[in-house]
Amino acid sequence: YSFSVEGDAIKVYVRVRPPSEGTALTDGDQGLCLSVLSSNTIRLHSKPEPKIFTFDYVANMETTQESVFSSVAKNIVESCMNGYNGTIFAYGQTGSGKTFTMMGPSDSDNFTHSLRGVIPRSFEYLFFLIEREKEKAGSAKSFLCKCSFIEIYNEQIFDLLDSASAGLFLREHIKKGVFVDGAVEQVLSSAAEAYQVLTMGWRNRRVASTSMNRESSRSHAVFTITVESMEKNNEIVNIRSSLLNLVDLAGSERQKDTHTEGLRLKEAGNINRSLSCLGQVITALVDVGNGKQRHICYRDSKLTFLLRDSLGGNAKTCIIANVHPGSRCFGETLSTLNFAQRAKLIKNKVRELFNV
Amino acid sequence: MAAAGSGWAAVCEKFRTARTLSAVESRKDPETEPYRSKYSARALLQEVKQLLSAAEEGGEARLLAVRRAVLEYELGVNHTDTEELSAGEEHLQRCTQLLEPHRLSPDCVSLYIQAQNNLGILWSERDEIKTAQTYLESAEALYNQYMKEDGNPPLDPSEHFMAEEEKLTDQERSKRFEKAYTHTLYYLAQVYQHLEMIEKAAQYCHTTLKRQLEYCGYYPVEWALNAATLSQYYLSKQCFMESRHCLAAASVIFSQAGQVPSAEDNETEQDQQDLRQRKAEIARCWIKYCLNLLQSARKLLEDNVGELDPDRQLELKAQRKKEEDEKEKGRKKAVLFGTSDICDSVLAMEEKVSSVYPLDFQEAREIFLVGQNYVQEAKEFFQVDGYVTDHIEIVQDHSALFKVLAFFEEDYERRCKMHKRRIDMLEPIYADLNPQYYLLISRQLQFELADTYYEMMDLKVAIGNRLEELDSHTIKKINSLAQLAIKYYELFLDSLRNPDKVFPEQLEEDVLRPAMVAKFHIARLYGKLITSDSKKQLENMQTSLEYYTFLVDYCEKYPDAVRAVETELELSREMVGLLPTRMERLRAKLCPFI
Repeated sequence: YSFSVEGDAIKVYVRVRPPSEGTALTDGDQGLCLSVLSSNTIRLHSKPEPKIFTFDYVANMETTQESVFSSVAKNIVESCMNGYNGTIFAYGQTGSGKTFTMMGPSDSDNFTHSLRGVIPRSFEYLFFLIEREKEKAGSAKSFLCKCSFIEIYNEQIFDLLDSASAGLFLREHIKKGVFVDGAVEQVLSSAAEAYQVLTMGWRNRRVASTSMNRESSRSHAVFTITVESMEKNNEIVNIRSSLLNLVDLAGSERQKDTHTEGLRLKEAGNINRSLSCLGQVITALVDVGNGKQRHICYRDSKLTFLLRDSLGGNAKTCIIANVHPGSRCFGETLSTLNFAQRAKLIKNKVRELFNV
Repeated sequence: MAAAGSGWAAVCEKFRTARTLSAVESRKDPETEPYRSKYSARALLQEVKQLLSAAEEGGEARLLAVRRAVLEYELGVNHTDTEELSAGEEHLQRCTQLLEPHRLSPDCVSLYIQAQNNLGILWSERDEIKTAQTYLESAEALYNQYMKEDGNPPLDPSEHFMAEEEKLTDQERSKRFEKAYTHTLYYLAQVYQHLEMIEKAAQYCHTTLKRQLEYCGYYPVEWALNAATLSQYYLSKQCFMESRHCLAAASVIFSQAGQVPSAEDNETEQDQQDLRQRKAEIARCWIKYCLNLLQSARKLLEDNVGELDPDRQLELKAQRKKEEDEKEKGRKKAVLFGTSDICDSVLAMEEKVSSVYPLDFQEAREIFLVGQNYVQEAKEFFQVDGYVTDHIEIVQDHSALFKVLAFFEEDYERRCKMHKRRIDMLEPIYADLNPQYYLLISRQLQFELADTYYEMMDLKVAIGNRLEELDSHTIKKINSLAQLAIKYYELFLDSLRNPDKVFPEQLEEDVLRPAMVAKFHIARLYGKLITSDSKKQLENMQTSLEYYTFLVDYCEKYPDAVRAVETELELSREMVGLLPTRMERLRAKLCPFI
């Protein structure tokens, strides 16, 4: 009997950012390409027929950072404390408010800023829960939090906490799952410290993108917190460990590129290159076959491999799709909503979705 | 005339510069100005075009037309490269129009085919795959017609702007022409894939691979991986001869990759590791080949209770004898890889394993052994430390190889030992595996272990049935195997519980069948447990009844589930009807006075 298990469907949240000040003045209300109908439906003013999308949660322009955090991340942080792995993806085109949603206003490194985003709030909440647990259990329970921060660019892995290193590899451990071999792990003792490490890595990402000619909109960044708890019950020591992954996906404008490539032919070019894409064609042919007894030589992408567990397993996963409501962004918004819709519906094929 | 001559040299020079700009320089263009070199190339081409029309009066009309067609072609490609599709189309159309009357002549045919290739690409970019298909298929037809009617190495389009002494050799001409046609086939493979004409797409992939080999246009490692992947397509279609051919070719070409020192020669450790990984990947394809061949043979040979059917075996052996004479013919139909040298190595490689269904234990064992060797080879790279998922998948395949081999074994004791081998390889891995990160694999292992114990228990019962009386050793063995099977089925069922340890009200579709089968088998196992204690026996029957009832109730509540477990449900219904009476009888025996 062959069977596959892909776990709970991914929860999908959409957030609509307010139009930037300049555009609001010139475009007026007619300049918006969508309207939020309820807390889980959105209407896109497409022609000839408007399109209705339904998600787990839709945050309109007025929704506060606090309420986004409560509906999206709170639950995931809680289950992380209960030993489940959790992953939050941020998705959207450049300028759709991804960074604002996840980090907060870009001009402040201030962890206590009233507009801080999902990530700092998750840190606070995580450490709040840890403190509460510790108080409840006294000396019987102890916690160890560690974090790592990596970037995937061009199928290569870079350590954002150690800018000197380059080209790390993914490996698997029978007890610990997938990990980045050699990635720096920093011990965390408070939410503020976590935020500090995150901003430091974020800065490294920017530096790398200018000095090493990497385009940050084409890279995925993965910040991982490992929460380990140790509980002594008489003589028995109970150790639990879970991961919280915060993922900033490459800009969706790149996603669109690869999407359209789905239909057009791959060119061989005139240069003396072999037809390297033939492999993709053949892989697609094999994929169609339903038999389980086959092996495909070409691997998952690095990102899907790293987050294997989050994309179908016993992990809690959500995507925050950020969209810009301006009519100029219509195409981008449509493709983001389509992506989010697919992520919601095709739970068995989620891996494909991220194989960028 | 001399002036014209030097003028011509300048034209050629301009043309050459444009081509270099387009093909070489453009790759270095900054991200902010991605088409800088393409635009410069375009300007040069326009100049050449003007120079050409200035010279128009004196020249020979046909020659001029062809030269202009070359320019239209270059401009067409240039415009499509810079995302100006309509302009590109116009140029390419003009090119084909100019060449139309001469398209079968040696100085035009290559250019014409390349123009059609590019029109195919252009239309695919407009998402009009059908239109792309017509251009590419007509390019294919033209190639075939030319090769039939003429066949001499035709001129390369670039030669139209070359001085006489620079012209290419026949060998080089032929190489470039064949390459253009390989591209046609490669694009067609993609077109057919997009149109979901899978078989045709596979055929074109196959032919493209073959031509890459013939004209030395390939990287060995990449080629080998492609061929190995293609073998997996044939596997899914049960075309074992083709599958084996692809794999044999993959192995042969891959072995060349190791011998040829790489271009840079300073191979990093990473490259070495990549190479070892690729080798292991090809080994894994071979494992699947052996496994599929054995499993398909099993399907052909088994009777309705899953045992080897001797009548069917004889029938198939007779049929094979008849077919052996026709085998040679079948061989020739398939697309074969490689020219003489490579072909010989590929054939030698093929001889190491059969491609026809094994019909008895001896034949099955030979295939099994080949598969097992590849298991060892694959494991050398995919060690559990670092490659958990891959490693376990290989072990699962190894276990599956033993399982199917056991089918061909007549001796029950030996068959039981084969299953014990499966247990020995699966159990320690399962014990170490963390289900938090490997839930799916962990469930698969639980289920497979349960099934293996179940199968062993059945075999022990069959062995016991041949004895006059069950000895206490056999009884103990049967009971312990049954208990172990129950343990692993229960572990699997427990893994479906939610964090609060509650079994789901409704099962997810992907675990529905395994969960129901687990329940059903547990019910049967409780029925098989042997005990002389009647009270204990009654308890076991009660438990058995509960599990059977679960199936019946569940299917009543969710009629959609019936499809997944038809046979099991039927038997469960029967047992739910029978068991209470049996239990009543047993109870009566226990307390005869009530």
